[in-house]
Formats: sequence, structure tokens, C-alpha cells
Amino acid sequence: MTAEITDRVQELAESEILERALERGVEDLWTDLVLARYVDGEIDRARAIKLVGRDHVKRAEREVKAVEDDITWGLDA
Amino acid sequence: MGPRRVIVAVADTGSLIHLEEADALDLLSTVDELVIPQTVYDELEVGDDPPTLSSIAHEVVRARQNLTQVDHSLDPGETAALNAAIGRDAVLLTDDLEARNVAEDENVEVYGSIGVIALAYTRGRTSKQEAADLMRALQRETSLFVTDAVIERGISLLQAEGH
Repeated sequence: MTAEITDRVQELAESEILERALERGVEDLWTDLVLARYVDGEIDRARAIKLVGRDHVKRAEREVKAVEDDITWGLDA
Repeated sequence: MGPRRVIVAVADTGSLIHLEEADALDLLSTVDELVIPQTVYDELEVGDDPPTLSSIAHEVVRARQNLTQVDHSLDPGETAALNAAIGRDAVLLTDDLEARNVAEDENVEVYGSIGVIALAYTRGRTSKQEAADLMRALQRETSLFVTDAVIERGISLLQAEGH
């Protein structure tokens, strides 16, 4: 079993999969960080769009509206 | 405070799964009448660990086509739930942003799992802290896709409320 895992690690290391996974993970973390700062009002919309793109920002805005609508409904019902 | 509003809600598959994953499915009994389309039931049965709905009073229905236009971006469960909500003048419960957009286009009131938790707090089923913890669980422990900052924004709205 240990040898099998070692073989797998070796094979992964020789491929570009780990590198791509790391890049993707960093990209996702960066996007989350920028959107969190935008939602919290720490950066403005234009800056957020420049950093992560309009689609991500619009998605975050839609999420915020959905959550705000949910809370308002739940508290008023 | 005015009379309590009677809430009839139709749940789609995603909202049921997310509430189950957050261990908050029983909060659905906070709504006055819960409707689950047969199509949603069928989708739940396909999953590895379908939610246990037996402890929650609900009606299973076969939804008729009420949408003004068939939206191919929605899956069958979302479509059935939306059709059932239109037919009953009910609230649609979904966490899918596209389904929310279509529901709003059809003038259907639409809310998600976060709303169910907030409602449970308002109706005395959870404390404010429990509601906040469940909202964080929805974000961290379920397949619901929503960013941490957005959930915290919702929790801040809940905590600012003066009940």
C-alpha cells in the first residue's frame, strides 16, 4: 500500500497535475479574498472587477442580494 | 405586530439537500405547509444518502406545467418546484441563483436555505446564535456555493435585528 502511494506521488510529481492544482487553488483563494473585500466594502466595484473579472463580481452581488432577501423575508414573515 | 402570515412553500432538491447537510432539515417544519414535487422526491432518491423527510409534514404533488416559458437552464426538480409554486401561489425554496432569477421573472416569491433558518429564528425555533451557526454550517459543510463573506453579511443582518 505504501509503495503504491509512493508510486502515485511520484507519478503526480512528474506530471503537471500538482502544479495546475496549486495554481487553481491559489486562483480560487485570490478570487475569494477579493470578493470578500468587495462585499465588506474594503475595495470598490471597479477595483474588484479589475482584479477578478466582471462575472465573479456580478455573481457575488447576486449572492449578496439573495442572502439579504432571505434574511429580510425570514425576519418579517 | 400583525397576524402571522401563513407560508406555503415548495422546496426544490438543492434546498432540501443543503438543509440536510447542515443538519437543519427539521427547520422546514417552520413553514405552515410544505409541498414537495414528485420530481424532487425522485431526484433525492437518486442520491447516495437521501434526506429523511418522514419527520417533516409535507405534501407530495405532481406539478403541472405553469411556467410561461420552459427554461432549459433549470433542471427537472427546479422546474417542477417552480411550476408547483406558481400553481399554489406559494413561496419557492431554492438555493439556485438561476432558478431564483426565473422565479422572479414569473413573479414567484423565492427564498433559500438561509431564509428558512432566519424564519426559524423569527418563529422561535432557534436562538439567534444557533441561526448564525447554522448559516455558517451551510457555507462550510454543505455543497451550497456561497462565499464566506456573503454568509457573514447575512449573519450581520440577523444580529442587527432587535428580537
